[in-house]
Amino acid sequence: MTLLDVVLFLPLVGFLLLLILPKESSRMAAMVFSLVVFVVSLGLLMPYWFQYPAGHTFSTNVSWISYPPIRYHVAIDGLSLWLVLLSTLLTPIAVLVSWKYIDKRVKEYYAFLILLEFGVIGVFVAMDLFLFYTFWEVSLVPMYFLIGIWGHERRIYAAVKFFLFTMAGSVLMLGAIIFLYNRTGTFDYGEIQGMIQTGSLVFSPQTELLLFLAFFIAFAIKVPLFPLHTWLPDAHVEAPTAGSLMLASVMLKMGTYGLVRFCLPLFPESARRCAPWIAGLAVIGIIYGALVALVQPNMKKLVAYSSVSHLGFVVLGIFTFTQQGLDGAVYQMLNHGISTGALFILVGYLYERRHSLEISAYGGVATPAPNLAIVFLITTLASIGLPTLNNFVGEYLVLQGTANANFGWAVFAALGVIFSACYMLWLYQRTFYGKASESLAHHMPDLTMREWAAIAPLLILMVWMGSFAQSFLPSISVQNAAILESTKKLRVERVAIPARQTAEVSRANR
Amino acid sequence: MQQLWLIPILPFLGFLLNGVLGKKLSKPVINAIAVGSVLLSFVWVVKTLSGLGAFSGGLEETYKEHYYTWIQSGMLNISVDFAIDRLTAVMLMVVTGVGTLIHIYAVGYMAHESGYYRFFAYLNLFMFFMLILVLGANFLLLFVGWEGVGLCSYLLIGFYFLEKFATDAGNKAFIVNRIGDFGFALAIFLVAGRFGSLDFTTVLTQVKGMPVEATAGIFTVISLLLLVGATGKSAQIPLYVWLPDAMAGPTPVSALIHAATMVTAGVYMIARTSQIYLHSPWALDIVAIVGLTTAFVAATIGLAQNDIKKVFAYSTVSQLGYMFVGLGVGAFSAGIFHLMTHAFFKALLFLGAGSVIHACSGEQDMRNMGGLRKYTPITMVTLLCGSLAIAGFPFLSGAASKDLILEAAYEHAPWMYWVGVFTAGMTAFYVFRAFFLTFFGEYKGKPAAGHGHGHDDHGHDSHGSTPHESPAVMWIPLAILAVLSVGGGFINIPHFLEPLFPVQEGEPARWLEYVATAAGLGGIALAYLFYVVSPGLPESLATSFKGIHTLIYNKYFVDEFYDATVVEPLVDGSRQLLWRVADVQVIDGVANGIGSTARGLGGVLRRAQSGYIRSYAAWVLAGSILAIAYIGFMGLAR
Amino acid sequence: MPIASFLPTNADYARFLPEILLTLAGTLIMFLEALRPEGKKSNAGVFAIIALVMALPASLMATPGPAFQGMLVVDGMATFFRTLVIVVGLLMVFSSTDYLRREKQETGEYYALVLFSIVGQCVMVTANELIMIFIGLEISSIASYILAGYLRDDARNNESALKYFLLGSFATAFLLYGVAWIYGATGSTNLTEIRRALTSGVAPPEAMIGVAAALIFVGLAFKISAAPFQGWAPDVYQGAPAPVSAFLTVGPKAAAFAVLMRVFLGSLETAASHWMPAIWVCALATMVVGNFAAIMQSNIKRLLAYSSIAHAGYVLVAVAANSGTGSAAVMFYLAAYAFTNIGAFAVVTYFGRAGEKYVAIDDFAGLAQRQPAMAAMLTIFLLSLIGVPLTGGFFGKFYIFKAALDANLIWLTVLGLLNSAVAAYYYLRILVVMYMREPGQSVENLPPAGALLQIAVYGSAVGTVLLGIFPSLVLDFANRAALR
Repeated sequence: MTLLDVVLFLPLVGFLLLLILPKESSRMAAMVFSLVVFVVSLGLLMPYWFQYPAGHTFSTNVSWISYPPIRYHVAIDGLSLWLVLLSTLLTPIAVLVSWKYIDKRVKEYYAFLILLEFGVIGVFVAMDLFLFYTFWEVSLVPMYFLIGIWGHERRIYAAVKFFLFTMAGSVLMLGAIIFLYNRTGTFDYGEIQGMIQTGSLVFSPQTELLLFLAFFIAFAIKVPLFPLHTWLPDAHVEAPTAGSLMLASVMLKMGTYGLVRFCLPLFPESARRCAPWIAGLAVIGIIYGALVALVQPNMKKLVAYSSVSHLGFVVLGIFTFTQQGLDGAVYQMLNHGISTGALFILVGYLYERRHSLEISAYGGVATPAPNLAIVFLITTLASIGLPTLNNFVGEYLVLQGTANANFGWAVFAALGVIFSACYMLWLYQRTFYGKASESLAHHMPDLTMREWAAIAPLLILMVWMGSFAQSFLPSISVQNAAILESTKKLRVERVAIPARQTAEVSRANR
Repeated sequence: MQQLWLIPILPFLGFLLNGVLGKKLSKPVINAIAVGSVLLSFVWVVKTLSGLGAFSGGLEETYKEHYYTWIQSGMLNISVDFAIDRLTAVMLMVVTGVGTLIHIYAVGYMAHESGYYRFFAYLNLFMFFMLILVLGANFLLLFVGWEGVGLCSYLLIGFYFLEKFATDAGNKAFIVNRIGDFGFALAIFLVAGRFGSLDFTTVLTQVKGMPVEATAGIFTVISLLLLVGATGKSAQIPLYVWLPDAMAGPTPVSALIHAATMVTAGVYMIARTSQIYLHSPWALDIVAIVGLTTAFVAATIGLAQNDIKKVFAYSTVSQLGYMFVGLGVGAFSAGIFHLMTHAFFKALLFLGAGSVIHACSGEQDMRNMGGLRKYTPITMVTLLCGSLAIAGFPFLSGAASKDLILEAAYEHAPWMYWVGVFTAGMTAFYVFRAFFLTFFGEYKGKPAAGHGHGHDDHGHDSHGSTPHESPAVMWIPLAILAVLSVGGGFINIPHFLEPLFPVQEGEPARWLEYVATAAGLGGIALAYLFYVVSPGLPESLATSFKGIHTLIYNKYFVDEFYDATVVEPLVDGSRQLLWRVADVQVIDGVANGIGSTARGLGGVLRRAQSGYIRSYAAWVLAGSILAIAYIGFMGLAR
Repeated sequence: MPIASFLPTNADYARFLPEILLTLAGTLIMFLEALRPEGKKSNAGVFAIIALVMALPASLMATPGPAFQGMLVVDGMATFFRTLVIVVGLLMVFSSTDYLRREKQETGEYYALVLFSIVGQCVMVTANELIMIFIGLEISSIASYILAGYLRDDARNNESALKYFLLGSFATAFLLYGVAWIYGATGSTNLTEIRRALTSGVAPPEAMIGVAAALIFVGLAFKISAAPFQGWAPDVYQGAPAPVSAFLTVGPKAAAFAVLMRVFLGSLETAASHWMPAIWVCALATMVVGNFAAIMQSNIKRLLAYSSIAHAGYVLVAVAANSGTGSAAVMFYLAAYAFTNIGAFAVVTYFGRAGEKYVAIDDFAGLAQRQPAMAAMLTIFLLSLIGVPLTGGFFGKFYIFKAALDANLIWLTVLGLLNSAVAAYYYLRILVVMYMREPGQSVENLPPAGALLQIAVYGSAVGTVLLGIFPSLVLDFANRAALR
């Protein structure tokens, strides 16, 4: 029973508690509970604050199901640590932004929100493939309801689309997981990786490629990587503010996290083999997402497509197989969580005031609501990668890594940085600048204390992560170095043992 | 430790104070904070430099301070380090010195503006980033300042955010700069990839040891990419288009950011990385040619502008061109020298223009001015100093630096010299055209107030109808700058920079100087003839050379060209092709298509379910026959 | 040979105890019903429950071994399935009482028939003898036919019963004919004997065995509603009373699968190379037909009917694996599916109201707001049917596809997995309607659910979730019970 178990299961307890509590108190309860979870989760920083352990910490490994041997094995490392903290930080914020926004079926709403937290934390800490898959699917359900019940007009279409897209990808991953088990007799991530490292588990190239793709597609849909992204704009536009927040900031990271955690170390050969194609898609996604965002008349759609562009950077960074690229990618996951999350919150604020997501419904907001304007400006600048703000560090590292791996990719990817400035500044100009119409000025009060409380932590993080990256990077770096190493070492060994390979191939072919 | 960090941090504190508390503070307090912080940082610069012996022949070596590691990833380590060498020293003096003066001036100029605190907050923030830019000891810190000043320029151009043209100009500035930064960034990636570090000393010393490139290689690529960045920030062809529009900002901004300091960042950056350029003669030539072309083209446009700020804007572009020529022909110190003198006289010109606009209640069209020498004598005198300086009047600051550049250009390639000289003539002409139109003849402004339709008309309406001299807080900075513009040439920057940049050996021919000066004087004379002696002449000329006139009057239609070839195709393409077709119809179409096919298949199977027992029985029969055939007689076949 | 050796021993009776108990109870109910004075409330339901509860330990504690000269055999699999069908019967009785009261049909025969049907299924799963299998099948089927048409004045009931009867007998004929062929080929109807005959040196002609296998397979495939023999299922399940439909989708199917495994994985295993491809094709066809036809359904009973076809397809995948893990997977899946489906039907039963007025999916609009508890339960069942983790349905699928991959049925696995993704679509539709639509009049002032029905619903829910979190509870049992 480690601190991690507490962090993981507190939300579940909270969920059950919310079901029992009367609906009047559910909002407060959710707030308190998520805050408690966050405070407790800060304890996870302890081992990572002054030195940067490479291996797992807070690991618990007990049997869950005797046969097949499925274990409740959870742990964190430099990779998952920050994602867990991101989730625990954003949940109370999500509760806060829903405070007034959600007026119907309040109890269910907060219950699902907390259940979602349980699911996503589980995804990030599970060290058993089966456990991972379980959480992966479980996190799907609450989000499905959040979009479907509390969303906008076309919410049902969006919710179902979201569910089916993810489902379609994950069933194949399940197949691959079972296949791995049949080969290894275990679901334990560590053990399987160990076998692959030591070469005691070798796949024929075709088999490995298929397994890799089974995992990769599941993750690519979640990321989402072009051209599997079309569920995202719908989901975002229809989801309530908190839904978009959790979706963009946390759930999309499940995909990128999966790429780093599973695709690279488990199937290095295929990962390297496919890298050019994937990088190509990522680069297309970067430019394509930005260009499409440029012409969106709907704010949330714009931000959604910008996410496609931003996450293109993450995927690109991962598949450069360079230290900088990986570090940047992981750092960018967090940055995107912070800045895009903030954007969705702010769009939500605007929506609560004006009840429209159409950009054309706004203009001149800066006059009646200067603080909102400033906050939005800072967030905008963060998301277009202004130095001293968080995204810059991530984007720089990703592009640096990309340039080291293949300068051509970097040239095209860097174009995305130009376009991001175009669509965000244009959005800002059309929304906040100019003369405010009478009706708008009338319905545009400035930020309330509650709204400040929700957005302030993110603003602080933008500056902190941008100016003092070293308070976050080292632990990530160490972990990535290990992952990178695992993909390299293997290649040497593989070359060294062609005999076993051929034997392997024949075994696979029969 | 010299505590270099104080230099940028002081303005930053000013920014924080004014930015956060500004709304509640009274104007005097805001002024105190804004001006005080910059003044203090100027004082600190002076103290530091004297401490390092910069004024007494010291500071031969780079002095560096390390604060903390910013980014560490693998081998790549990027720290927050500040460094001072003589180049930085010059920049620091110019930025903080001129910056202080302009802040003081702004106190008077902006007195009646709304969003007063916001303005000074932004201005201080700009100082912060500009100082980071010059102090940064590695490429990435330089880039931080680079982007930061771009941001402030964006904010200050769009200061009057109620006006669409202002915010448009702001966006244009930021985005065009982003295009430049794109090149800069790529250069940084290459440097880091090639040298494993971004620290200037580390990289540049490595470069020093390497052979000069015979053919275009890595250095050429890096240099050219850096040049792309420079053309963006320093408004050179092809990315100069944002600077004229940037005049939408308040005049002090135009003076500080878009004349004296920020736009010279490109020049500074190339000088800073001169080692790399010196290894690629080819790239250097490109720099020179870009500069020369820009100088010439901008000057021609300047001939026909009627908005006083636009005139000076194009002259800025043109003067920056000169600096690039200086860099390009290898006379880095001359380029920096001109950077400094230009900072003096161009700041002066803009502030003077501001004072004039102020006098005419926000009027910016010179055709509605005239005869101001009666009303605003001080402004006129100071402005005259500035105009003479830029026109290259003998012994004035402008002449000193410009002649150095032209001489170096002649050494490099005579034709460059001649183009430069011709441009100098044009410069003198249009500057004095502006001068005469403004101060000579009769006042043509409307008597009633509030008619100013210029960009600065906010709050100026409160003034009376007749032009009036500006308050002391505004003309004192003018006076100081006037003195600098006149005497600035005697500060021997080239000598000061010798440890950094090789100085051309051999005394250049005297006549080069004379010709250049003559060109300048000729231009002045011509302007006098056109706009004082016989004011009718320009009109007739304009009509007789209609084609050329409309061409340069409309700035060669470059903006229109860019819109038609880049902006519109991009936007329309994205909307019509990428979004409506590729995304909605193709990609999403496929997804929904799968869904509908599934539903279709479902419909078929549903209809197969007739509900008649006989049909079910038939199915059973068919199935069993198949099964028997397969299981049974396949077995037989074996 | 002395006569005595033919007489059953006590051990035989002990192994046969559950069937005996249930038969007695059934007969008793019939008897009492006859005596019951008009208007006096029948308590046959209570009898039935008591009988089933008593049969449960009897089945669990039955000592393994053959009975009645090896006509019956009590082994792990028999025990597993016997217990399963008894539990199914129990849940079914629980969910029936409300229904019968509502339909004003509180007569005891109903429960008697249920008990007889269960007896038949018990015989099927314990039989080690093709004739016994046939008898069990008939006992179970005939009772089911009547149950399907229990509301004699209800047209849908009658149609359902008639179709079930006609097609059922049609298919049974195939089975019987297959038995004849086997006898002709091997000279025995005893499964053990048959196996011995097939493995012995003088193996009978493969073609004969093949034909026999085909015929038997058709008979059983009909019972498990495998394509292309599934035609009857939707009509029957939709027409029959909801509790009966629940029972039919689970009980007889489980028994039929038990037989399928006994006969094919047991006796005819040696001919596997012949019948395996047929099962492979059949499994795929069944999944596809079930899932895709379900997409377009608007009646929830019919939708669940098609889903039950699809699920039969998944189970066939595990059969096709032809392995120990495979049969274990089959058992686990059927158990999980039993809880899930009976639970789902129980909610439908409750919700349908008198005369099953509200069985269109759209009638469920806003159920979540009026009846959060019931909606939550139905959600659990649907998620289990989709195969979302932490539900029994998920582990069921998981074990099935695991077994299939073990047996290198890669493509069947992939297609099956994709099918389960398709299935998500139509189950989600129900969730959408329940949670995301505004309540219609159909959900207004629902009468509170009866205690027994609630037991059925919550019991099934608990079962579903337990199997989802601690599958070992059943799986270890199944693994021990698995053939080979």
